Amino acid sequence: MGIAMELRNVYKSIGKKEIIKDLSFDIKPGEVFGFLGPNGAGKTTTIRMMVGLMKITSGDILINGKSIAKDYKGAVKEVGAIVENPEMYPFMSGLKNLKHYARMMDGIDDERIEEVIKLVGLEKAIKEKAGRYSLGMRQRLGIAQALLHRPSVLILDEPTNGLDPAGIKEIRQYIRRLAEEENVAVIVSSHLLSEIELMCDRIGIIKNGELISIQSVNGQEEESAVTVSIEVEDKSASREILENDFDLKVAEEGRYLSIKLEKELIPTIIKKLAAQDINIFEVNVRRTSLEDKFFEVIGENTIA
Amino acid sequence: MRNFLNLMKNEQIKLFSRFATWSMFIIIAVIIIASGIITFIFDDFVTKDYGDNWRTELQEENADFEEMMEGEYMEGAYTGEIERNNYHLENDIKPSSYDGWQFTLDNAGLSMMISLFTIIIAAGMIASEFRWGTIKLLLIRPISRTKIMFSKYATVLLFALSMLIFLFVINLIVGAIFFGINGLNPTFVQSTMSGFQEVGIMKEIFTEYGLQMIKLVMMATFAFMISSLFRNSGMAIGLAIFLMFAGNMIVGVLSQYEWSKYILFANTDLSQYQADRHPMIEGMTMGFSVTILVIYYIIFLAVSWIAFTKRDVAGN
Ligand SMILES: Nc1ncnc2c1ncn2[C@@H]1O[C@H](COP(=O)(O)OP(=O)(O)OP(=O)(O)O)[C@@H](O)[C@H]1O
Ligand SMILES: [Mg+2]
Repeated sequence: MGIAMELRNVYKSIGKKEIIKDLSFDIKPGEVFGFLGPNGAGKTTTIRMMVGLMKITSGDILINGKSIAKDYKGAVKEVGAIVENPEMYPFMSGLKNLKHYARMMDGIDDERIEEVIKLVGLEKAIKEKAGRYSLGMRQRLGIAQALLHRPSVLILDEPTNGLDPAGIKEIRQYIRRLAEEENVAVIVSSHLLSEIELMCDRIGIIKNGELISIQSVNGQEEESAVTVSIEVEDKSASREILENDFDLKVAEEGRYLSIKLEKELIPTIIKKLAAQDINIFEVNVRRTSLEDKFFEVIGENTIA
Repeated sequence: MRNFLNLMKNEQIKLFSRFATWSMFIIIAVIIIASGIITFIFDDFVTKDYGDNWRTELQEENADFEEMMEGEYMEGAYTGEIERNNYHLENDIKPSSYDGWQFTLDNAGLSMMISLFTIIIAAGMIASEFRWGTIKLLLIRPISRTKIMFSKYATVLLFALSMLIFLFVINLIVGAIFFGINGLNPTFVQSTMSGFQEVGIMKEIFTEYGLQMIKLVMMATFAFMISSLFRNSGMAIGLAIFLMFAGNMIVGVLSQYEWSKYILFANTDLSQYQADRHPMIEGMTMGFSVTILVIYYIIFLAVSWIAFTKRDVAGN
C-alpha cells in the first residue's frame, strides 16, 4: 500500500528563527497518527506547511505522492483540515458556512452536506448563526467542513480542544471508523497524550521543532525496553553484578533497584542473581508507558 | 470558469449576509429622499417652472439680476445666468423645467458616498478573512490563490457598479416623484468652450457618473491593495479615505514641482480636460493622465497579488 503523507527533511525558518528542524515521517492510509508536543513545539506550523498555508523552507511534503510545493492543487484536493481554532463566518448559519466551502470543491451535493452534518451531530443547530455556537459546536462544524469532500488525508489540529468528554469520545469513535472503514489517513495534533492515545496507532513526539521519537501505541515494534524493579536482600552486591556483568544502569528507589532493559534479558539476570545466592523478594515489570516516555522526552514543560 | 463564478457567488453571499452592507444602500436612499424633499420645499429658484410667457419671465429675471449686481461686491456675480437666459431668448428655446433627470444630474456628486462605501468594502475584502480566521479554511482548497484574489476584487467592482446603478435609479425615481419627468432624454442649455449649447441630458449624466467612477475604482483598488498588504481593514480604510480627501490638496501644495503631475491625484479627475476647464498642472493632457492612471492601476493590482499569493499565512 502507498504512503498517504510523507514528510522529507522538512525545515521552516521565519526570519532567523528555525522553527521546524529536519522533520521526516510517513503516514499510511488507514492509520491514525498522533502529533504530540508541548505548546510552541511546532505542531501548527508543520500542519500549515502540510496544507500549503506556509511555504516549506527546505525539504518536501508529499500527499499521495504529490508535492504540496510543486503540485499544490493536486496534493491539497485529497486533504481535509482544521488548522488551529475552527473559525467560521460568524454572521452565517452553520449550513451556509458548509455550503460556502462545498462550492469551492467538486462533487459535493446537498445529500453529502446532510450526511456530514449528521455525522458530527449538528442537525439541531445547523440553521443557527455560527457566531452563536459554543466552542465545541464550532469544533464539530470545523470537522464537518474538513470531511465534506471525502478526503483521503484528514488533518486535525487539536480537534479535542473545547470538547466535553462525551464529545471527545464521539470524535475518537468516528476518527477510528474513518481510518478503519474508509482507509483515511488521519493526523491529529494535541498537547495532551491522554486525549489522543486511545485513537492513535502511532504517536510522533515533537519538541522545539524536532521529532524526538515515534511510538506505536499498541505494539512493541519500536520499543521493547521495560523497567524492572527488584527487591533484593543485598542491594550493593546485586548492583555490582548488574552493572559489571550486564552493563546496565541501576537506580535505587527505596527498597528497590530499578533497571531499564530489554525484556529478553529478565530471565538471565534473575538466574544470575539467584546463582550468586542473592535473595529476591519481588520483581516488578513495568512497560515504559507512553506517558512516562512523553514526560521523559519532553522534560520540564518549557516553551522555547 | 464555473469555479470562478462559484467563488464570486460565495463572496456575494458573504457580503450580503451582513447588515452593514445593506445599511449602505439604505443610507444612500435616505440621503436622496431627504435631498428630494429639501429641494422640493426650499429651493424655488432651481425648481422654477416657466409658463407660456417664459420670454417675459426670463427678461424680468435678467432685470432682477442686473439690479442685484449693482450692490457692492456683487459685480459679475450673475453674468453667467444672464448669458444663459439670453441664449434661451435668442435661440427661442424654452427653458426646460426641473425634473427627475436634472435631479439625477445634480446628485451625481453623491457618488462620493459610493466611493466611501466601496473603499470600506474593498478594505475588508481580504483583511476580514484574516480577522475572522477564515482565511485558513479558504486557502486550503484546490483553487489557486490568484483566482481567489481576483474573485474578491471582481466582487468589489461589482459592488461599486451595483451601488452606482442603485444611486442612479433611486435618484431618478425620487426625482420623478417630486419633479416629474420630461420625456426620455430632455435637452438643456449648458455652457461649453464655444459658449452656450443645448445638450442631451443623458450624455451629461453618463459623463458625470462615468468620471466619478474612475476615481472610485482607483481608490477602491488602492484600499484593496493596502488590505492585502497589511491584512488590516482599519488601516486600509483610513489611508484610502484620507488620501481621497487630501489628494487634491497634496497636489495643490506640490504643484510648483514638475514631477507633481505624476501623482495619482493630479490625474484622477478627468473632468479637468472638459472644454471649459483647465488641467491641474500646465501641459498635462488627457492621454497623459490615462497612461498614468493605467500604470498606477497595474501597480496596485500587482502589489495586491504578490502580497496575497506569495506570503505565508502564519499565526496572527
Ligand atoms: N509567524 C511567526 N513568526 C515567528 N515565529 C512564529 C510564527 N508562528 C509561529 N512561530 C513560532 O513557532 C513555534 C511553533 O509554533 P506552533 O504554533 O507551530 O506551535 P504548536 O506546537 O502548534 O503549539 P500549541 O500547542 O500552542 O498550539 C513557536 O515558538 C512560535 O513562537
Ligand atoms: Mg498549535
